[in-house]
Amino acid sequence: MTILDGPELADAHPVSREAISREAISREAISREWPGSGHRTGAHTGAHAAPATSAGPSAPANDEWISLLSSPGPGHAEALAGLHQLLLRAARHQVSVMSAQTAGIGEVRRQELIGQAADEAMVAVLGKLASFEGRSRFTTWAYKFGILHAAVEVRRSLWRNREVALELLPEPAAVGHSPEQLAEAADFSEAVSNAIAVELTAHQRQVVMALVVDEVPIDVLADRLGTNRNALYKTLHDARGRLRRHLQDTGYLDETAKGVIP
Amino acid sequence: MNSPQRKLSPDQAHRLTLEAEPWLSCDDCFDQIDFFAERVVSGGFIGMPALRAHLIGCSACGEEARSLVQLLAADDGVDPAPSLRRLSDG
Ligand SMILES: [Zn+2]
Repeated sequence: MTILDGPELADAHPVSREAISREAISREAISREWPGSGHRTGAHTGAHAAPATSAGPSAPANDEWISLLSSPGPGHAEALAGLHQLLLRAARHQVSVMSAQTAGIGEVRRQELIGQAADEAMVAVLGKLASFEGRSRFTTWAYKFGILHAAVEVRRSLWRNREVALELLPEPAAVGHSPEQLAEAADFSEAVSNAIAVELTAHQRQVVMALVVDEVPIDVLADRLGTNRNALYKTLHDARGRLRRHLQDTGYLDETAKGVIP
Repeated sequence: MNSPQRKLSPDQAHRLTLEAEPWLSCDDCFDQIDFFAERVVSGGFIGMPALRAHLIGCSACGEEARSLVQLLAADDGVDPAPSLRRLSDG
Protein backbone atom coordinates (compact mmCIF):
# COMPACT_ATOMS: atom_id res chain seq x y z
CA MET A 1 0.00 0.00 0.00
CA THR A 2 1.40 3.37 -1.00
CA ILE A 3 1.27 6.19 1.51
CA LEU A 4 1.44 9.48 -0.35
CA ASP A 5 3.86 12.01 0.95
CA GLY A 6 2.96 15.59 1.85
CA PRO A 7 4.10 17.39 -1.29
CA GLU A 8 2.07 15.08 -3.50
CA LEU A 9 -1.07 16.13 -1.70
CA ALA A 10 -0.30 19.82 -1.59
CA ASP A 11 -2.43 20.54 -4.65
CA ALA A 12 -5.45 18.96 -3.06
CA HIS A 13 -5.11 20.77 0.21
CA PRO A 14 -6.81 24.14 0.47
CA VAL A 15 -4.27 25.48 2.92
CA SER A 16 -1.96 25.92 -0.07
CA ARG A 17 -2.70 29.37 -1.40
CA GLU A 18 -0.86 28.63 -4.61
CA ALA A 19 -3.11 25.64 -5.16
CA ILE A 20 -6.20 27.74 -4.52
CA SER A 21 -5.26 30.31 -7.13
CA ARG A 22 -4.66 27.56 -9.68
CA GLU A 23 -8.03 26.09 -8.75
CA ALA A 24 -9.76 29.43 -9.11
CA ILE A 25 -8.50 29.66 -12.67
CA SER A 26 -9.45 26.16 -13.71
CA ARG A 27 -12.80 26.23 -11.90
CA GLU A 28 -14.12 28.49 -14.61
CA ALA A 29 -12.91 26.14 -17.30
CA ILE A 30 -14.57 23.18 -15.62
CA SER A 31 -17.87 24.95 -15.23
CA ARG A 32 -17.96 25.53 -18.98
CA GLU A 33 -17.47 21.80 -19.62
CA TRP A 34 -20.03 20.81 -17.10
CA PRO A 35 -23.40 20.59 -18.79
CA GLY A 36 -24.91 18.08 -16.43
CA SER A 37 -24.40 19.89 -13.15
CA GLY A 38 -27.67 20.53 -11.36
CA HIS A 39 -25.82 23.13 -9.33
CA ARG A 40 -25.36 25.32 -12.36
CA THR A 41 -27.91 24.33 -14.97
CA GLY A 42 -30.65 22.34 -13.31
CA ALA A 43 -31.54 18.69 -13.82
CA HIS A 44 -29.86 16.94 -16.70
CA THR A 45 -31.77 14.54 -18.90
CA GLY A 46 -29.04 12.99 -21.03
CA ALA A 47 -29.03 9.41 -22.24
CA HIS A 48 -26.44 8.27 -19.71
CA ALA A 49 -27.34 8.07 -16.06
CA ALA A 50 -24.90 9.71 -13.66
CA PRO A 51 -23.39 7.46 -11.02
CA ALA A 52 -25.42 7.47 -7.83
CA THR A 53 -24.53 10.33 -5.53
CA SER A 54 -24.41 8.48 -2.27
CA ALA A 55 -22.79 5.25 -1.27
CA GLY A 56 -25.69 2.83 -1.07
CA PRO A 57 -26.02 -0.76 -2.32
CA SER A 58 -26.66 0.48 -5.88
CA ALA A 59 -23.64 2.77 -5.94
CA PRO A 60 -21.36 2.24 -8.92
CA ALA A 61 -18.03 0.56 -8.56
CA ASN A 62 -14.98 2.70 -7.92
CA ASP A 63 -13.46 1.89 -11.30
CA GLU A 64 -16.66 3.00 -13.02
CA TRP A 65 -16.36 6.44 -11.41
CA ILE A 66 -12.71 6.74 -12.36
CA SER A 67 -13.28 5.57 -15.91
CA LEU A 68 -16.23 7.90 -16.53
CA LEU A 69 -14.52 10.90 -14.96
CA SER A 70 -11.15 10.35 -16.57
CA SER A 71 -11.97 10.61 -20.24
CA PRO A 72 -14.54 12.32 -22.45
CA GLY A 73 -17.12 9.98 -23.86
CA PRO A 74 -20.53 8.53 -23.05
CA GLY A 75 -21.44 9.24 -19.45
CA HIS A 76 -18.57 11.67 -18.79
CA ALA A 77 -20.73 14.78 -18.37
CA GLU A 78 -23.17 12.90 -16.18
CA ALA A 79 -20.34 11.58 -14.03
CA LEU A 80 -19.05 15.13 -13.58
CA ALA A 81 -22.51 16.23 -12.54
CA GLY A 82 -22.78 13.27 -10.17
CA LEU A 83 -19.44 14.13 -8.61
CA HIS A 84 -20.47 17.73 -8.15
CA GLN A 85 -23.64 16.60 -6.40
CA LEU A 86 -21.52 14.48 -4.04
CA LEU A 87 -19.32 17.45 -3.27
CA LEU A 88 -22.28 19.74 -2.72
CA ARG A 89 -23.70 17.17 -0.31
CA ALA A 90 -20.42 17.02 1.60
CA ALA A 91 -20.01 20.80 1.67
CA ARG A 92 -23.61 21.32 2.79
CA HIS A 93 -23.14 18.72 5.50
CA GLN A 94 -19.94 20.38 6.72
CA VAL A 95 -21.52 23.82 6.86
CA SER A 96 -24.45 22.37 8.75
CA VAL A 97 -22.24 20.67 11.36
CA MET A 98 -20.54 24.04 11.86
CA SER A 99 -23.91 25.77 12.20
CA ALA A 100 -23.19 26.96 15.74
CA GLN A 101 -20.27 28.93 14.34
CA THR A 102 -22.05 30.10 11.19
CA ALA A 103 -25.23 31.39 12.84
CA GLY A 104 -24.32 34.99 12.05
CA ILE A 105 -23.29 34.41 8.44
CA GLY A 106 -26.72 34.59 6.79
CA GLU A 107 -28.36 32.15 4.40
CA VAL A 108 -27.19 33.76 1.17
CA ARG A 109 -23.54 33.73 2.23
CA ARG A 110 -23.93 30.20 3.57
CA GLN A 111 -25.16 28.99 0.16
CA GLU A 112 -22.30 30.85 -1.54
CA LEU A 113 -19.82 29.12 0.74
CA ILE A 114 -21.30 25.72 -0.06
CA GLY A 115 -21.19 26.30 -3.81
CA GLN A 116 -17.69 27.73 -3.69
CA ALA A 117 -16.38 24.86 -1.58
CA ALA A 118 -17.97 22.27 -3.87
CA ASP A 119 -16.47 23.94 -6.94
CA GLU A 120 -13.00 24.07 -5.39
CA ALA A 121 -13.28 20.49 -4.21
CA MET A 122 -14.35 19.47 -7.73
CA VAL A 123 -11.13 20.84 -9.19
CA ALA A 124 -9.10 19.18 -6.44
CA VAL A 125 -10.77 15.79 -6.92
CA LEU A 126 -10.37 15.84 -10.70
CA GLY A 127 -6.74 16.81 -10.29
CA LYS A 128 -6.11 13.89 -7.94
CA LEU A 129 -8.06 11.13 -9.71
CA ALA A 130 -4.85 9.32 -10.59
CA SER A 131 -3.95 9.07 -6.90
CA PHE A 132 -7.19 7.28 -5.96
CA GLU A 133 -6.17 3.77 -4.98
CA GLY A 134 -9.55 2.29 -4.17
CA ARG A 135 -8.82 1.85 -0.47
CA SER A 136 -12.24 3.33 0.29
CA ARG A 137 -15.40 3.84 -1.74
CA PHE A 138 -14.94 6.56 -4.32
CA THR A 139 -17.81 8.48 -2.77
CA THR A 140 -16.06 8.54 0.62
CA TRP A 141 -12.83 9.64 -1.01
CA ALA A 142 -14.66 12.47 -2.79
CA TYR A 143 -16.54 13.50 0.34
CA LYS A 144 -13.35 14.25 2.20
CA PHE A 145 -12.45 16.91 -0.36
CA GLY A 146 -15.88 18.54 -0.05
CA ILE A 147 -15.67 18.52 3.74
CA LEU A 148 -12.14 19.92 3.80
CA HIS A 149 -12.84 22.76 1.39
CA ALA A 150 -16.09 23.69 3.13
CA ALA A 151 -14.49 23.66 6.59
CA VAL A 152 -11.64 25.87 5.43
CA GLU A 153 -14.02 28.26 3.67
CA VAL A 154 -16.15 28.61 6.81
CA ARG A 155 -13.14 29.18 9.07
CA ARG A 156 -11.69 31.78 6.72
CA SER A 157 -15.04 33.50 6.36
CA LEU A 158 -15.56 33.71 10.12
CA TRP A 159 -12.10 35.17 10.69
CA ARG A 160 -11.95 37.41 7.63
CA ASN A 161 -12.33 40.60 9.60
CA ARG A 162 -10.95 39.43 12.91
CA GLU A 163 -7.56 40.25 14.20
CA VAL A 164 -5.34 37.52 15.57
CA ALA A 165 -4.55 39.40 18.77
CA LEU A 166 -2.03 37.28 20.58
CA GLU A 167 -1.90 39.28 23.78
CA LEU A 168 -5.62 39.35 24.50
CA LEU A 169 -6.63 36.35 26.51
CA PRO A 170 -9.83 36.16 28.57
CA GLU A 171 -9.50 34.90 32.10
CA PRO A 172 -10.15 31.15 32.08
CA ALA A 173 -13.34 29.98 33.73
CA ALA A 174 -12.93 27.82 36.80
CA VAL A 175 -13.84 24.14 36.33
CA GLY A 176 -16.09 22.34 38.77
CA HIS A 177 -13.67 20.22 40.78
CA SER A 178 -12.80 19.99 44.45
CA PRO A 179 -10.63 22.76 45.98
CA GLU A 180 -7.64 20.38 46.00
CA GLN A 181 -8.08 19.48 42.32
CA LEU A 182 -8.52 23.13 41.41
CA ALA A 183 -5.31 24.03 43.22
CA GLU A 184 -3.44 21.18 41.54
CA ALA A 185 -4.74 22.13 38.09
CA ALA A 186 -3.85 25.77 38.67
CA ASP A 187 -0.39 24.70 39.75
CA PHE A 188 0.03 22.61 36.59
CA SER A 189 -1.34 25.43 34.40
CA GLU A 190 1.18 27.79 35.91
CA ALA A 191 3.97 25.28 35.27
CA VAL A 192 2.89 25.01 31.61
CA SER A 193 2.80 28.78 31.37
CA ASN A 194 6.36 28.98 32.76
CA ALA A 195 7.52 26.25 30.39
CA ILE A 196 6.13 28.20 27.43
CA ALA A 197 8.12 31.23 28.50
CA VAL A 198 11.43 29.45 29.03
CA GLU A 199 11.38 26.52 26.57
CA LEU A 200 9.72 27.72 23.38
CA THR A 201 11.09 29.88 20.61
CA ALA A 202 9.22 33.07 19.78
CA HIS A 203 7.67 31.38 16.73
CA GLN A 204 6.62 28.29 18.68
CA ARG A 205 5.12 30.51 21.37
CA GLN A 206 3.18 32.52 18.83
CA VAL A 207 1.83 29.39 17.15
CA VAL A 208 0.81 27.46 20.27
CA MET A 209 -0.80 30.45 21.93
CA ALA A 210 -2.78 31.29 18.80
CA LEU A 211 -3.86 27.70 18.06
CA VAL A 212 -4.51 26.34 21.51
CA VAL A 213 -5.21 29.31 23.72
CA ASP A 214 -6.83 31.85 21.39
CA GLU A 215 -8.33 29.03 19.26
CA VAL A 216 -7.46 30.65 15.96
CA PRO A 217 -8.29 28.03 13.28
CA ILE A 218 -5.12 26.50 11.88
CA ASP A 219 -5.95 27.45 8.28
CA VAL A 220 -6.59 31.05 9.27
CA LEU A 221 -3.30 31.24 11.16
CA ALA A 222 -1.55 29.66 8.17
CA ASP A 223 -2.95 32.41 5.92
CA ARG A 224 -1.81 35.15 8.32
CA LEU A 225 1.67 33.71 8.72
CA GLY A 226 2.10 32.76 5.04
CA THR A 227 2.48 29.06 5.76
CA ASN A 228 0.29 25.94 5.68
CA ARG A 229 -1.59 23.58 7.96
CA ASN A 230 1.11 20.92 7.80
CA ALA A 231 3.92 23.24 8.88
CA LEU A 232 1.90 24.75 11.73
CA TYR A 233 0.91 21.37 13.07
CA LYS A 234 4.58 20.33 13.02
CA THR A 235 5.44 23.46 15.03
CA LEU A 236 2.67 22.68 17.53
CA HIS A 237 3.79 19.06 17.80
CA ASP A 238 7.43 19.99 18.40
CA ALA A 239 6.45 22.63 20.94
CA ARG A 240 4.31 20.11 22.82
CA GLY A 241 7.31 17.78 22.93
CA ARG A 242 9.51 20.49 24.43
CA LEU A 243 6.87 21.43 27.00
CA ARG A 244 6.36 17.81 27.98
CA ARG A 245 10.09 17.20 28.43
CA HIS A 246 10.41 20.32 30.58
CA LEU A 247 7.41 19.35 32.70
CA GLN A 248 8.76 15.82 33.12
CA ASP A 249 12.17 17.20 34.18
CA THR A 250 10.53 19.47 36.73
CA GLY A 251 8.25 16.75 38.09
CA TYR A 252 4.94 18.05 36.77
CA LEU A 253 4.38 15.24 34.28
CA ASP A 254 4.85 11.53 34.63
CA GLU A 255 7.04 10.21 31.80
CA THR A 256 4.42 7.65 30.88
CA ALA A 257 1.54 10.13 31.01
CA LYS A 258 -0.18 10.85 27.71
CA GLY A 259 -1.10 14.29 29.05
CA VAL A 260 -2.41 15.52 32.35
CA ILE A 261 -6.16 15.36 32.72
CA PRO A 262 -7.06 18.13 35.12
CA MET B 1 12.20 38.48 24.04
CA ASN B 2 9.76 36.58 26.23
CA SER B 3 6.22 37.87 26.13
CA PRO B 4 4.43 38.24 29.44
CA GLN B 5 3.15 34.94 30.78
CA ARG B 6 -0.52 34.40 30.20
CA LYS B 7 -2.86 32.63 32.55
CA LEU B 8 -3.95 29.25 31.21
CA SER B 9 -7.06 27.28 32.03
CA PRO B 10 -6.58 23.61 33.02
CA ASP B 11 -8.06 22.57 29.68
CA GLN B 12 -5.65 24.78 27.74
CA ALA B 13 -2.72 23.44 29.77
CA HIS B 14 -3.87 19.90 28.98
CA ARG B 15 -4.18 20.58 25.25
CA LEU B 16 -0.77 22.26 25.21
CA THR B 17 0.87 19.13 26.59
CA LEU B 18 -0.90 16.38 24.63
CA GLU B 19 1.47 13.71 23.45
CA ALA B 20 -0.17 12.98 20.04
CA GLU B 21 2.27 10.20 19.16
CA PRO B 22 3.14 8.47 16.86
CA TRP B 23 3.70 11.44 14.56
CA LEU B 24 1.53 11.93 11.50
CA SER B 25 1.29 15.05 9.33
CA CYS B 26 -1.96 16.74 8.29
CA ASP B 27 -1.32 15.73 4.66
CA ASP B 28 -0.90 12.08 5.60
CA CYS B 29 -3.99 12.34 7.77
CA PHE B 30 -5.97 13.64 4.80
CA ASP B 31 -4.63 10.85 2.64
CA GLN B 32 -5.84 8.13 5.01
CA ILE B 33 -8.98 9.65 6.49
CA ASP B 34 -11.41 8.11 3.96
CA PHE B 35 -10.67 4.46 4.69
CA PHE B 36 -10.20 5.24 8.39
CA ALA B 37 -13.71 6.74 8.50
CA GLU B 38 -15.16 3.71 6.72
CA ARG B 39 -13.55 1.43 9.30
CA VAL B 40 -14.99 3.53 12.12
CA VAL B 41 -18.51 3.41 10.68
CA SER B 42 -18.31 -0.31 9.84
CA GLY B 43 -17.69 -1.09 13.52
CA GLY B 44 -14.83 -3.46 12.78
CA PHE B 45 -11.14 -3.30 13.67
CA ILE B 46 -9.78 0.25 13.27
CA GLY B 47 -6.08 0.24 14.18
CA MET B 48 -4.20 3.22 12.69
CA PRO B 49 -2.78 4.63 15.97
CA ALA B 50 -0.88 7.48 14.31
CA LEU B 51 -4.01 8.74 12.62
CA ARG B 52 -6.02 8.50 15.82
CA ALA B 53 -3.31 10.42 17.68
CA HIS B 54 -3.32 13.09 14.99
CA LEU B 55 -7.08 13.55 15.27
CA ILE B 56 -6.66 14.19 18.99
CA GLY B 57 -3.74 16.58 18.52
CA CYS B 58 -5.05 18.51 15.49
CA SER B 59 -8.44 20.10 16.07
CA ALA B 60 -9.09 20.95 12.40
CA CYS B 61 -8.43 17.42 11.13
CA GLY B 62 -10.39 16.08 14.10
CA GLU B 63 -13.40 18.24 13.28
CA GLU B 64 -13.33 17.17 9.63
CA ALA B 65 -12.97 13.49 10.54
CA ARG B 66 -16.02 13.64 12.81
CA SER B 67 -17.95 15.28 10.01
CA LEU B 68 -16.96 12.60 7.48
CA VAL B 69 -17.99 9.85 9.90
CA GLN B 70 -21.38 11.54 10.40
CA LEU B 71 -21.90 11.83 6.66
CA LEU B 72 -21.06 8.16 6.06
CA ALA B 73 -23.40 7.13 8.84
CA ALA B 74 -26.14 9.24 7.25
CA ASP B 75 -25.54 7.55 3.86
CA ASP B 76 -25.77 4.15 5.56
CA GLY B 77 -28.92 5.24 7.39
CA VAL B 78 -27.44 4.48 10.80
CA ASP B 79 -27.15 6.45 14.02
CA PRO B 80 -23.77 8.25 13.97
CA ALA B 81 -23.45 8.26 17.78
CA PRO B 82 -21.72 4.83 18.15
CA SER B 83 -19.26 5.69 15.37
CA LEU B 84 -18.49 9.06 16.95
CA ARG B 85 -17.90 7.29 20.25
CA ARG B 86 -15.50 4.87 18.56
CA LEU B 87 -13.74 7.86 17.07
CA SER B 88 -13.26 9.63 20.39
CA ASP B 89 -12.58 6.57 22.53
CA GLY B 90 -9.09 6.26 21.06
ZN1 LIG C 1 -4.10 17.92 11.02
